[in-house]
Amino acid sequence: MTSTLDDSRTRILEPVAPPVQAPEPADGLASESSGSDQAWRPSRAGVWARGFVWGLLAWFVLAVPANILSPFELGVADVSAATEAVIFGIVGLSLNILLGYAGQISFGHQAFVGIGAFTSAYVVVDLQLSFWFALLIASAVGALQAGLLGAVSLRLSGLYFALVTLSYGAFTEQTVFGITELTGGEGGKSAPRPTGFDSEISYYLLCLGFLALVVFIDWRLTRSKAGRALAALRENPRVASSYGINVKAYILLAFALSGMIAGLAGALLAHHEEVIVGSKFGFQLALLFVLMTVVGGLRSRSGVVIGAAFFALLGSGKLLEMLDKPLSAVGFSLTEFIEGTVGLPQEFVPLVIGPILLLLTITLYPGGIGQQIAPVREWLLGRRFDPHAGKVEEVTVNDVRA
Amino acid sequence: MDGLVEELAIAMTAGVLRGSVYALVALGIVLVYRASGVFNFAQAEFGTTGLFAAYAALELWGWSYPVAFAFGMGVAIAMGLLTERLVIHPLRNSSKVTLLVGTAGVALAAIGLQFWLFNDTLIMTMPKISESFYITPWGAPVTAQALIGVGVLAVVAILLALFFRSPSGLAIQAAQQEPVAAELIGISVRRVSMLTWGIAAALGGLAGILTGPILTFTAAFLSFGAFAALLPGFMAAVLAGMRSMPGAVAGGLLVGCVEQLGSLSILSERVPGTGAAVLFFFLLAVLLVRPNGVFVGRVATA
Repeated sequence: MTSTLDDSRTRILEPVAPPVQAPEPADGLASESSGSDQAWRPSRAGVWARGFVWGLLAWFVLAVPANILSPFELGVADVSAATEAVIFGIVGLSLNILLGYAGQISFGHQAFVGIGAFTSAYVVVDLQLSFWFALLIASAVGALQAGLLGAVSLRLSGLYFALVTLSYGAFTEQTVFGITELTGGEGGKSAPRPTGFDSEISYYLLCLGFLALVVFIDWRLTRSKAGRALAALRENPRVASSYGINVKAYILLAFALSGMIAGLAGALLAHHEEVIVGSKFGFQLALLFVLMTVVGGLRSRSGVVIGAAFFALLGSGKLLEMLDKPLSAVGFSLTEFIEGTVGLPQEFVPLVIGPILLLLTITLYPGGIGQQIAPVREWLLGRRFDPHAGKVEEVTVNDVRA
Repeated sequence: MDGLVEELAIAMTAGVLRGSVYALVALGIVLVYRASGVFNFAQAEFGTTGLFAAYAALELWGWSYPVAFAFGMGVAIAMGLLTERLVIHPLRNSSKVTLLVGTAGVALAAIGLQFWLFNDTLIMTMPKISESFYITPWGAPVTAQALIGVGVLAVVAILLALFFRSPSGLAIQAAQQEPVAAELIGISVRRVSMLTWGIAAALGGLAGILTGPILTFTAAFLSFGAFAALLPGFMAAVLAGMRSMPGAVAGGLLVGCVEQLGSLSILSERVPGTGAAVLFFFLLAVLLVRPNGVFVGRVATA
């Protein structure tokens, strides 16, 4: 009897078995919808929409400054401002390596940029060498001086090192850039445009190309062993070194790389402005660099570039002009509103708005612009639109070596 | 050689006069660092803001000197308290570098406001407290204004020393060392923090309003303008190990003298801006040789 019962049980259970296995495909579906990025593909319309937005971005960056297919009539000054924005983007990425990846605060970044600028001008004007060679030399000198400063940082904790960079900036501006034989003194030093890049638009495209190169280098850095090592030592250098990471070597690497990129940016800036003056590289510029990088969002490439461009355009007054163009349709001028009604002269707009944005960023949105645009960025990269993407707990530039 | 000795004497006198301002700034920096563990980049801006307020009250609104002075001090203190409330307190759990960027933001905001509000006034000069006397020991020009600055520093240093022996001063020290234990015995850490920032801002304000009459001033006057005292103030505070009050005073005077040594004619004739260079290498040397400061006693390893 019992055996038949057992039989019947097994027989009863057998048909039940398939439903037990049945959830498998459902499970697979669930994991797919819960956001496994490999499995999820945008629909055909989604691909077209993304392609359209990418095209719009490319049009905005490439075609609008060249006045191709553009409703705006941009002049030479507008393109020049755009070039400066691109160069600031390179500077922002350079500072991001120190501030964001290595967790080393630098208030002397204007010195890095300035040294690159004067080196390049010196190589082109006094040594009569080519522009491309000057870029190389400027990058190398930038890397060298940043590496030397980095060697100092190995012995000091974060806040003290911030002081050294501050003092280094003052020393470079007042002493090094004051040597008339090298920098032309107060009259400035001329830095002619390279042949073939005389027009504003061609030089703009050249700078854009270098920005793309730096973004690529930065992207490869974060995906390499060095990038992971920097992330580890930023969080905790002792733990990192116990995992066999050579903390000193990687900090020096970060400095050298940052200095190299800053030197490159400086050289581009010098030949963009064509005459550079040492007093440009004062402490205020250093603060602006830190400001735009933090507001842009540490460790977010796109955020940093947008933040840097934002502050550069704000400083040259082009951002307000740009916003005024569509607003003029409704008979409103932002520039007039700010200058007339608020009574804030245009040249002080970044100085007044910048700090407010900075304080808002570090208190409310530690991820900066990078955090704000993260959902759009994810969407553009072919993932789902996730409004919660890019949430950061805090700007974790820890006082790592205190 | 005689000329050099005389120049040295003049430089040292100028160094002490400038150094007394650095010392005032350094005292504020050390106070804030002990209270909140922050490198306060806005310290010198407290001074410039106070100076602008006093100038506006005196020259634009025609108030009397003492009232304008008090108004300037009040604005500086209010700015210090607001900084504590709006920036330092909300960020108290953030990393030190975030806090540092926050105070730099406060400084920048103040500079922006100064540029904005005083854009129309081209040259600003604060009248001196006393124009009258002017002495020249060793050929060094010493104005009454500068002497008043040194005198105020001495008085402030003594008052601070006395204050830290009073119950309120002891409460500040307790709250800095053991915040939780201090709360348990009834000290409001919050109020202590406000008190410290208020005192620090008052020190900054004193430095600003006393220094203003010496030179014409612009926005960011005391941070990195004509009388850049922020960086030297930080150096003095570092010499004091970010801890010692007498050390900050001594450090300020020393930094002032070292800076003046840099501008001696044998150096400055050959290289420009030697003051900044000498300060940079001096700071490097101090930090690399004695990272814990020079003017500090041996610290008990707790």
